[in-house]
Amino acid sequence: MTTLSPGPFDVTVVESAPTALTVHVSGDLDYDTSEELVELVTRHLTRVGPAGEWEDLRLDFAELTWLDSMGLSALLMIRRRTGAARVTLHLDNRPDFLDRMLDVTNTYDHLTEAARRQDDVSEAGAN
Amino acid sequence: MLVVDRDGGIVDLNDVARTLLPGVARGDRLHDAVPGWLTEAHRLLARGPQESAPGHRSGSLGDRVFDAHPTASDDGDVVWWLVDDTDRRLAREALRSEQERTGILAEVSSALLSSLNVTRCMELTAHMAADHLADAAVVIAPAQGRRHPLTYACKDGAVLQANRVIDPATVPGLAEALRGFPPVPTRWINPDDIPPWAVPAGFAGPLGSVIVTPLPGHGVPAGALMLLRSSTERAFSEGEEIFARLFAARAGAALSAARMYAEQADITATLMRELLPPTLTQVHGVEYAGSYRPARDNERVGGDFYDVHPGTDPSHESLVVLGDVAGKGLEAAVLTGKIRNTLHALLPLAGDHEQMLNLLNSALLTSHHTRFATLVLASALRRAGRVHLRLTSAGHPPPLVVRRNGTVEEVATRGTLVGAMPSVIAETTETVLAPGETCLLYTDGITEARGGPMGGELFGDRRLRQALSECGGLPAEAVVERVQMLAAQWIGGGRHDDMATVAVSAPKSGALRVVNGDVPIDGSEIWHRRKG
Repeated sequence: MTTLSPGPFDVTVVESAPTALTVHVSGDLDYDTSEELVELVTRHLTRVGPAGEWEDLRLDFAELTWLDSMGLSALLMIRRRTGAARVTLHLDNRPDFLDRMLDVTNTYDHLTEAARRQDDVSEAGAN
Repeated sequence: MLVVDRDGGIVDLNDVARTLLPGVARGDRLHDAVPGWLTEAHRLLARGPQESAPGHRSGSLGDRVFDAHPTASDDGDVVWWLVDDTDRRLAREALRSEQERTGILAEVSSALLSSLNVTRCMELTAHMAADHLADAAVVIAPAQGRRHPLTYACKDGAVLQANRVIDPATVPGLAEALRGFPPVPTRWINPDDIPPWAVPAGFAGPLGSVIVTPLPGHGVPAGALMLLRSSTERAFSEGEEIFARLFAARAGAALSAARMYAEQADITATLMRELLPPTLTQVHGVEYAGSYRPARDNERVGGDFYDVHPGTDPSHESLVVLGDVAGKGLEAAVLTGKIRNTLHALLPLAGDHEQMLNLLNSALLTSHHTRFATLVLASALRRAGRVHLRLTSAGHPPPLVVRRNGTVEEVATRGTLVGAMPSVIAETTETVLAPGETCLLYTDGITEARGGPMGGELFGDRRLRQALSECGGLPAEAVVERVQMLAAQWIGGGRHDDMATVAVSAPKSGALRVVNGDVPIDGSEIWHRRKG
């Protein structure tokens, strides 16, 4: 995709509040790295937090250098997981390219919809 | 030990020599008692000067081989020490033939592995088997349909290939060898049992001995090898049978590799035929052109696609689809095929793009993944020389329209990507193209192409619009070519994503007219229609 070497991909998970997980994503979230993010987030969502169940998952994109369609696909999968776990997903510190992609694909509202208002696709719509 | 006098009379011989030369006694003449090679050696030794005489001679006595070492005594008698050399010779002979066979096997492997062509591999196998193992060879490949591909070769002769209906049961062991499992040993076959089809046309003389050995593949049978020798030659030995099996193992491995490769190439070709973008032309008075450059030049099935579905007649809209599937490779290709087929089936509903997209979305939804697609739908109808377009983006970069005067407009349509969310919304926008005007649908592979003078910079919307502004009045084909060319130049030799473009143009009607940027253009109105 690029002639430059991709930004080194890294994910750090922090318990930012008793009911909130913050995931710092840095580097390129793309075909090669998106699966790693989904697996990591899924693993943390299923463990019990200090206050019992999680209420919020914050993905912090301050250090994100690029996101391709597989990266967006990963965010949609994470949204399915948070929806199933009744956790609200937040996309923080979004770079311009991420905003543009969320805008063109019309996915921002769906991704950041507050939990518990409506059941997620993975329970209702999927086959 | 044998003592012989100067004139060739046997003076004495010990017990071992008596056993070797039964019936020989003292006083016999040497030339009556022993083979010529020993008589001759003695004659030379007796006549010539001592120092020029050969140290020893060798030859056979009975069915064994001996070295004869002479020791001359003062009275002119010669003591011949006969040393049995048979076993050492046999060992040396075995080593030599072993080296030769190893050489042949190496040759077989390198010859066969250099080709992934099944026919060529069978030809080489038959040819080398006939040259090194037998007088003639037949390679019998597993049946294709009702017929078996057969390859015949004679020593020093031409290789012949034929597809024939044969009954493997007519050759003992052949049916088992062709099944490949359970593994069957090589079989010696009575030459009288060989049917005429199994004998190569140029085979000389009556059959002497025949063996059949399986060609083992990678878990699948690669066929069988039949070796034939004429009756004037000796029959196959145990060692030759083992060697034939080694040969068959190498040939079988190469053949099955070639066959698997052929099958995969076939699958890829089939997929490619189904998934490659079509060639676009003019349909119902509207010009279409498309271009597709996949991410990797050696992987021609990628994640971008386009189609044009012509209306049933010129009074019905044609539907253009251009899309981009997340991911790459086979998985992306499969999803691409699914989308194209579904949209084809939904064609009767193309009057309402948003409904069509919702139906497509539910058809694609699966709990297994969130692989999605973004696409643009364009319905085109030519009326009174102008092309009426209804355009809908489903999470895709908006189409661009280039007017005759070079103005570039973005078509304001927005919608949700399909395949990952419970429902989608989309806005359809209408526009009209006057003759010489073009609407360009493209994937983000174009705008996100990285390169430029510094490398790593995006081609971007601005450069795309700039390129388009120079395309006013150009036919669809030329617009597509120009955009692809500029993007390709921008990338240079760097890696890139799939890049697809489709241009929809209103052709300039037959009458000659000067294209003038200052002429006010009619039909450039754009209006929006909010759906549902």
